[in-house]
Amino acid sequence: METLVKGGELIKSGKPDPAVEVIGVSKCFRLYHDYNVNLKEKLINWRKRGYDLFWALDDINLTIHRGETLGMIGPNGSGKSTLLRMMTRIMKPNKGEIKVHGKIAALLDLGAGFHPDLTGRENIYLNASILGFSKKEVDAIFDEIVEFSELGPFIDNQVKNYSSGMYVRLGFSVAINVDPEILLIDEVLAVGDESFQAKCLERIYSLQRSGKTIVLVTHNSDLAAQISDRVLWLEYGKIRKLGDPWEVVSEYHEAMSIQPKEEESGTQDIFIREVDVLDKAGNPSHSFQTNEPLVVRVHYEAQRPIDHPIFGLSFYDHQGLMVYGTNTQLRGYDISLAEGRGRVDFSIPNLTMLDGRYFISVDIRSRDGETLYHSLDKTRHFDVKSSGRDIGYLSLDCDISWMEE
Amino acid sequence: MIENFRELLKSRELLFNLTRKEVKVKYKNSVLGFFWSLIYPLIMLMVFYVAFGVIFKVRGEGMNYYAFFLMCGILPWNFFSQSLTMAASSIVRDGALVKKIYFPREVLPLSQIGSNSFNFVLQVLVLVAFMIFFRIPLSYWIFAFPLVLFLEVVFIAGLSLFLSALNVYFRDVQYFTELLLIAWFWMTPIVYPFTFITQRLPIWGQKLYLMNPMAHIILLYQYILYNPRVNAQAAFQDVELISWKSVTAVAVGSLILLMLSYLYFIRQEGRFAEFI
Repeated sequence: METLVKGGELIKSGKPDPAVEVIGVSKCFRLYHDYNVNLKEKLINWRKRGYDLFWALDDINLTIHRGETLGMIGPNGSGKSTLLRMMTRIMKPNKGEIKVHGKIAALLDLGAGFHPDLTGRENIYLNASILGFSKKEVDAIFDEIVEFSELGPFIDNQVKNYSSGMYVRLGFSVAINVDPEILLIDEVLAVGDESFQAKCLERIYSLQRSGKTIVLVTHNSDLAAQISDRVLWLEYGKIRKLGDPWEVVSEYHEAMSIQPKEEESGTQDIFIREVDVLDKAGNPSHSFQTNEPLVVRVHYEAQRPIDHPIFGLSFYDHQGLMVYGTNTQLRGYDISLAEGRGRVDFSIPNLTMLDGRYFISVDIRSRDGETLYHSLDKTRHFDVKSSGRDIGYLSLDCDISWMEE
Repeated sequence: MIENFRELLKSRELLFNLTRKEVKVKYKNSVLGFFWSLIYPLIMLMVFYVAFGVIFKVRGEGMNYYAFFLMCGILPWNFFSQSLTMAASSIVRDGALVKKIYFPREVLPLSQIGSNSFNFVLQVLVLVAFMIFFRIPLSYWIFAFPLVLFLEVVFIAGLSLFLSALNVYFRDVQYFTELLLIAWFWMTPIVYPFTFITQRLPIWGQKLYLMNPMAHIILLYQYILYNPRVNAQAAFQDVELISWKSVTAVAVGSLILLMLSYLYFIRQEGRFAEFI
């Protein structure tokens, strides 16, 4: 994460040099009750106001520094894209002002600007021209664009013959290779296959290194935390929090997942009475440090004697991705017969996860795995905080040595 | 407004590129390609020639080369009507672009005018070539063509900017424009000579008729291209063909229209992305 540190230092040491100033900006949309406004209806109902006002943004003040990468997160409808659009001047604020210092380009879904009957080459020039770049400027980077898009042999074919993937790659390549001082990115990193995404990220890192200002809107808050110098959390058109990426993002995760969706299923011949999450002292706890011990205690009750039940445990992150999973059978532990009440402890001597909120699922199955007796999905959660600044899921011991050769 | 205009000037390369795209794309997948832009007015010419030249005999007495007279009106009219219909719906048609990327929105309607004027100039060149081939006496006024073209472009731009912006809020505009153009066509001296009006309408009717700026513009084209003083001497004997007063009025009026609708356009363009 060299770039992150570099970018971060750049801001700390640099003089205040704003790239974008958002001063008291509010934006109001009219939500029409029925968007059937034709002239006739307008004339008939000319006194009646056929819409409600909706404040998408409410008095936003924000300064984005030169060379900084700002991530914008927030639930749907929080005003992220609206703010971005106003920075590009696609929309105008109702109140306030946005000052942009430098050439700005937005990285939106650019396939929009393509004409299907023109070739890839012609579309590159046209698209760049719409973004405000001259033929000369495009000439200089044309080969780069083509190479980035991986469309080499097809560049002189009409784009209507392109696959949708090729279409998107070409659009993205144009926008990311032209050379704006300020780049706005709206949720386009989810585009293309994985290798193309990786390439795009790589390109964003290199833009960061070359000192470009980047504003990134995304629903992938982890990505935002990963590549941003600061993260802005918008909610209901207001700034909820702005600052250190991991702080904002972890608080965002907490707020977004206060009530985990718990799901229950199974025959309940044997059922889970209670799940406890215990710390090293054996007390119920919700927050742990990385590398601390943790015990998940599953209390069960069997309605009838059950032969060789299998108890399973898994951890999920806030996105529903399984971080870890195991069960008694996999661990070679056999519970010969479950009668009445009992409990199973899953003891983890050291949690090797990094910061985040993790959800616990437990289940009980028959020995052959065919019957699901009882499953509690995401029934409990715990938070992990690490002392270091590493990022990702796992805490690994990483020793660094250095020598000159 | 001055700032917007400066920005538009900066975007002239974009305007040029979009114009070229329109020209390129228009007949891209047709076999006859660019020839369609010649065939279309030719077919119109045949229809009107048969209907009005042969059947109804509206051509004035003492009017030679009626076919060329027709062409001198049809071509600039087609330029006008096609530019206007294409431009009026241009912002909405390229809505996906307007919603996603910022650029001076004027270039969308203006590029439609640009590509149509390209076609128009080529058509006129072909027409003049034919007139030379058939040894039709031309007048030196023909060199005033760029000026008249400029006047028409100003008038079209004035209407287009207003209509294209209004069309964002009321899609009725684009349909209304098409209808309006049909009526407008017959209120303009294209298939019949202007003398029909002076002979058959009372003075107040003539005055009303001449409120139509397109009438003046078409008369100008006929004057410089068709050379009526030679080719239709008898027909236009008693008519004042060009009055500098009215030409000036049309020019000044068109400029004012252009400025007003540009102002309207600028005031509205910040809201386009919300309404498309």
